[in-house]
This record gives sequence, structure tokens and C-alpha cells, in this order.
Amino acid sequence: MITAITDSFTQDHHRCDHLLAATEASVGSGDWSAIDAAATALVDAMNRHFALEEDVVFPALARVFRVAENPIEIMCSEHAQMRQLFEELGESVAMCDKTAVLGLLETLHFLVQQHNYKEEGVLYPMADGALPEQAAEMAALLNQV
Amino acid sequence: MLNTAGLSLDQAPPIGVPFAFFLTAPLFAVAAGGLLLWQGELILISRWTPPALVVTHLIALGFLTQIMCGALLQMLPVLAGSPVPRVVLVGRATQVLLILGTLSLSAGLLWGGAAWLTLGGGSLMAGLMIFATATGIALTRARGVRRTVVAMRLALVALLVTLLLGVLLVVVLLGGWRLSGFVDWVNLHLAWGLLGWTGMLIMGVGYQVVPMFHVTPAYPDWLMRWAAPLVAVALTVASALMATGQGAAATGWMGLGALCFVVFAGVSLDRQRRRERPRLDATLLYWRSAMISALLAAALWLAGGRAELVGVLVLIGVGIGLPSGMLFKIVPFLSWFHLQHRQVATRRFDVRVPHMHTFIPEAPARIQFGVYLVALLALVAAAALPAFDVAPGVGKSLARLGGFALVLSSGFLWFLLARSFWRFRGFGL
Repeated sequence: MITAITDSFTQDHHRCDHLLAATEASVGSGDWSAIDAAATALVDAMNRHFALEEDVVFPALARVFRVAENPIEIMCSEHAQMRQLFEELGESVAMCDKTAVLGLLETLHFLVQQHNYKEEGVLYPMADGALPEQAAEMAALLNQV
Repeated sequence: MLNTAGLSLDQAPPIGVPFAFFLTAPLFAVAAGGLLLWQGELILISRWTPPALVVTHLIALGFLTQIMCGALLQMLPVLAGSPVPRVVLVGRATQVLLILGTLSLSAGLLWGGAAWLTLGGGSLMAGLMIFATATGIALTRARGVRRTVVAMRLALVALLVTLLLGVLLVVVLLGGWRLSGFVDWVNLHLAWGLLGWTGMLIMGVGYQVVPMFHVTPAYPDWLMRWAAPLVAVALTVASALMATGQGAAATGWMGLGALCFVVFAGVSLDRQRRRERPRLDATLLYWRSAMISALLAAALWLAGGRAELVGVLVLIGVGIGLPSGMLFKIVPFLSWFHLQHRQVATRRFDVRVPHMHTFIPEAPARIQFGVYLVALLALVAAAALPAFDVAPGVGKSLARLGGFALVLSSGFLWFLLARSFWRFRGFGL
């Protein structure tokens, strides 16, 4: 059984979890340039992850497996919710508003966790099953900078 | 076929279903605190006094079981990918009967009276059977994370056994049946309720939420595989021994169940120590105090310590503490998530949905924990005192202080949850 997509994309989720935790840790320091750098690294990593899913994995999956269309739509709408939070996070960092930054990171964290849970449990295994020939290639894309 | 249930919010129950459970539960903790304030010294002198039995059930049923039922109805679609059938009807019926049953049973235990006991036992039987049937159906279809689903199924069976043993005890109290070794049967009822229903559900939920909430390493697989099933085996063997009149041997098997939870509590504390999210929020403080309470309770119980002290640690340290800490995450997230969903549905992208800390800010949540901790420490001290030779006035003052602090902290918990709900309701979407 192929698990290349599940394994590599799950690992990338963990990488983003670490970046979110690092951003929270940086808030404690009160150094706003460090907080800004940590938040930017987090948002960049997540945007890259979304782009690979939305431009590569999900379209390929939807082409061969029609049942996936509805779950894909739900995942993409949650990506949009997260992008909204990125925007608010950026504004709060620019305004040096510690309370808002922590509240937004908490909200983002919870949204991400329940989202990842569904991707890792449903979408990725579906993609591995439906795209056995392309799975390794798609997984490798995550490692390219 | 892959399971796509639970992906969408449409699968989750309306927010009013879990919130009704969450908003009612703290009122029972206020009532328990009020009883401790009024008759604390009597309650902590013997677990067999009527007010002690009432406090136990107000907490175990009115607070703990109420929150566990509400949370399960909410979580099953997401965690196990399986919605509960007729969830609004099931939720309402369960809750009304649970409240009626808890209050009637409490009245019956406090003042005597066959009518109250009968009404209490009957309502609880009906309400929890409805709940167990509906969630049982959802759990048989569940295909989510295996270890969690197994622990939840076992917890649900334990709820039914606790219920049946409870009804049996009511029948004995009503004089309908004679039972030798009554105390041992009460202990078995307690073991199924606390280690079985509560303990195994905490395990199943903890495997998911501890790594998820604070970004910790996962629980070790051997623990997730064996802990809940071993508790179930231990309780089953204990019951069989009890039924054949071997009460002493049964207690030993209950000890094995307690040891499983000790390992779980120790591993949980270790995982949380190795967390990546740095902040020490109220949820984490509650998890820590609850797991330390569980460890102390198990050590004391195994060493033959005062049952009243074990009771305080388990019921107030774990039973009130852990759900309170969980609600501080669940309630703001549900509020935010439902508002967000409504925003998408109505395409009102001109308004900005407030973040989670707007619903329950960190500072008051920490203060609430502080008041709760005063209650826990005062009641632990008051329950420990009779073992020492101290002037009786000290124990009385401590018990009353503990009761008062429990009224305050539970009232404050209710206020924070209710304010979150008002903010949700009042938001213009």
C-alpha cells in the first residue's frame, strides 16, 4: 500500500505545528522583529503547503476520483479561513498587539488541528490510493525549496 | 470505501446541543459547593453520610457526566467520523432526564423517601440508556482513530454497568432486595463509574487532545493499545469475583485498573512537559492538577488511606478539574467555528469574526483556576485532617472555606462560559 502522500504531507503538517509553536514562543520575548520573522516563516510554510495541495494534489485527485470533490471543497474553504487568519495575524504583528497575536495563533492552531486531522485521516489516504503512480513525485515536491 | 463523514460542519450537532450541557453543568458544582459550605465537616468525616452521597452524585452526574455527554455528542462526528443519529432529540431527552434524575436521586439520598429514589433511579436509567443507545450506534459505525474509538466504546459499556449497579443499589436501599457485602458493591459501582466510564473516556480523549492542544509527542503505542482494555478486564474480573462472594480478591483487581490510570497520568504529565507550545494556559494547569490528583488518589487508595480524601482528589481534583480545563478550549473554539461557518454561509466577508480569546480571555480563565485550586487544597486538607489529632474547629473552617471557594469558582466558570455564549449569540451574523 502506498503512503507517500500521507507520510510526507503529514510530516509537513508537523513542521508547520513546530513553526506555530515557535511563533508563540517568540511572543514571550517581546522582540517584535523576531515575532514578525517567526510569523512570516509560519505563514510562508503554510501557504506553500496549501499551494501544493490546491494546485497539484487536489486537482489530480478530483480528476480520477469524483467522490473526492466534496471533501476537497471543504478543505479549500478551510484554507480560505486560515488565509483570513494569516491576514489578521499580519496586521496584529504590525500593530504590536500581543493579546491579539496570541488569540489569533490559538484560533489558527485549533482550526489547523481539526483540518489536519481530516486531511490525514481521509484526503491523503484517498490520494495515495487514487494516484499510486504520481504519489512519490508529489511527495518529493514538498522537499524542493 | 473511505469514510468522508465528519468532514463538514453539517455533521456536527447544532451548537445549542453541547452548550446546553456545558452551561448547566457548573450549576451542579455550585450546588455541591453549597452543600460543602453548609455541612462540609460532616461530609468529610464519612463518605456514608447522606450529604456526602449527595455531593458525590451532584459532581459525578450533574457536572462530570453532563459535560462528558455533551462533549461526546459534539466530538463523535469529528473524532470518530460518525454522527449521532437524531442528535437534537437525543441530546435534549438525555439532558432533561439526567437533570431530573440527579436532582431526584439527591433529594432521595438526602431526605430519604422511596418516591424520590425511584424517580431518580428511573430517570437516570431512561436518560443514560437513550444516550448510550444513540452514541453506541454511532460508535459501532465509527472508523476514526482506532485506539480512541476502542476506549470510547469500553467507556460507554462501563457507563451502562455503573448505571445498572447504581439501580441495583437503589433497589437495595428501597428494601426490594437483600445484598450481602453492600459496601463492596458500592465500591464496585464506584470503580466502574470512576475508572471505567470516566477513566477510559479520559484516556480515549486524551490520546487525541493532549498532543493536539499543546503539540506534544504522541502517547506511546503500547499504552494506547493496552491501558483501556486492561482497565476493562480488571473491572470485569473484579465484578465476577464480587458476584461469587470474593470481595477481597475483587479489590485487588480494581487496584490493577487504578495502576493503568496511574501510568496514563504519569505519561500525560511527561508528554505535556515535552510540549512545544510554550504557554501555561488554564487548560494545561487543569490537566496538571488533575493528573497529580489522580496519582495521589491512586497512591493513597493503594496504601489504604482515608476514602474521603481519595474521594476529594478524584471527584474535585479530576472530576471537576479536567472538564473545566477542557471547556476553556472547547467552548471558545466552537463559538468561533460556528460563527466562521455562518460567515461563509451568508457571505458576510465584511465582518471580522473575533478570535478565540475574545470569547474566553486567558487572564480570567487563570483566575478561575486559582479560585478552584483554593477549593481543592482546602478540601484536601480538611479531608486529611481527621487522620491527625487536630482541633475539630480547624477541619470545619477548612471544609467551609473549600465549599465557599468551590461555589465561587464554579459560579465563575458558569459566568465565563455563559458570557462566551452571549458573545456568540450577540454577534451580528
